[in-house]
Amino acid sequence: MVEPPQGQVLDDPERRREESAESRQRVEGDWDERPFKVDRAELARFDLKRAGLPDMSVESAAKYIEEHRASRPWLAMTDRACPEARRIIAALDAAGGHAHIRHEGWVTEEANRSRVAYREDPAQLDPERRHAGIDGLRENDKGHRSGDVTTRITDPDAFATAFIRGVEHPRVREALDRPTGSSKWPGEVAIPISDLLDPDDCRLCTGWRLEPVDGNIDTARQNRSDWVTARAAGRKPDVPEPRAAPVSTFRGGEIVFAFAPNDSEKRYQVVTMFPRPAHQQSDVPLENQLKE
Amino acid sequence: MAPFYWERHPNGPFATLIEIATTYLDPENYNPEALERLARQEGDQEMRVFKSELREAVKDPSQLPGDELSRSVQYEDGSPEAFLHRLWRDLYGDETP
Repeated sequence: MVEPPQGQVLDDPERRREESAESRQRVEGDWDERPFKVDRAELARFDLKRAGLPDMSVESAAKYIEEHRASRPWLAMTDRACPEARRIIAALDAAGGHAHIRHEGWVTEEANRSRVAYREDPAQLDPERRHAGIDGLRENDKGHRSGDVTTRITDPDAFATAFIRGVEHPRVREALDRPTGSSKWPGEVAIPISDLLDPDDCRLCTGWRLEPVDGNIDTARQNRSDWVTARAAGRKPDVPEPRAAPVSTFRGGEIVFAFAPNDSEKRYQVVTMFPRPAHQQSDVPLENQLKE
Repeated sequence: MAPFYWERHPNGPFATLIEIATTYLDPENYNPEALERLARQEGDQEMRVFKSELREAVKDPSQLPGDELSRSVQYEDGSPEAFLHRLWRDLYGDETP
C-alpha cells in the first residue's frame, strides 16, 4: 500500500500506478503545473481553414464537444481550456487528427509511461485491447506503435497555441500548401518549442523515455516488441519487462509536425503534433561516423 | 542545428533513404501501406534514389551514418540489418537487392 500525501490509502492498483507515475514525473522531470498565459484573441483570430480544418464557431465547438464527449473521452480535457482553444481542439477532433488524443493533457503520466513501455495506446478505449497493444485509431486491429519517447503538452491552451503558431510557420505552411498527388508526402517539420511558446513553457511538456538495454536502444525496442507480443498471446515473456523513465527536460526541445494527405480535401493536413526533447546530436562529425 | 539527419546533411550518405523511411515509418505517423504504394512508382526519381540507397544499405549496413537510421525510424527489428532486409522484402518482395 502506498500512502499519498493526502493521507488517502490507495488500494486501487490502477490509481496507485497513476499516482506513482505522476510522482516520478514531478521528481525526475522538469514539469511545472502553472497555468499557461493564453492569448485568447490570438486563438479566436485563427482561421481554421488555414490548417484544413472544418470551420467552427465557439458555440458550435461547444455543441460538438457535448455531443461527442461520451464516445470520445479525450474531449474532456477541453473542460480546462478557454473557449477559443476548445474551438481549435474540437475542429482537430472533427478532422480526424490524433495529436490531441495522444499528446495532450487527457493522456495521464501513467498512460504515457504505459505507451512507451508496453505500446498501450491511450486512444484505445477498450482496456483489454489496449493491454493487448491494439491501436485505437488504425483499422483491422493493427498493433500500436510507439517510438523511444512518448510526450504531451499538459495544458490545452498551450497545446492549441502551439498548433496555430506552428501552422503559420513557413516550413509547416510549405507542407500544408503543397498539392497532394502521387509523390512523397512532406517530411516531418521540427520547430523549436521556444519559437512557438515562451521559453519556460517547455516546462508544460512531459514525457517518458524507453530505457536502453545494455546501453542499446535497438535491443530495448526489440525486447519491448517481443514482450508485448508474448503478453498479448498469454505467454510468459522471455525478455525482461520494458522500463521507462521520465524525460528530464524539454529545454532546447522541438515540436514536431507530421503530415498526411486529406484525400477529400486534396491537400495535406497536420496529422499529429508532439513535443520532443532536445535531439541528442552526435558529437562525431559525419565523416567520422562513416566507416572506411 | 537542424534536428533531422537529412537536413543537416542533405547530400550525406543515405539521406533520401533515412528521410523517406522516417516520413512513412516514424511510429507517430506510421503508414507502411502508403510507402508500399509509393515504392511501386518506379518512374519517381526520388524513389529511384531511395531504392538504390536501400539496396546499398542492405548489402553493407556498416556504411550507414552512425545510429541516424535507428534514431529517426525507431524500428523494432533489433538491428539496422534486420530492419533493412525486412523493408526491402516488404517493398520489393523477392527481387534481389
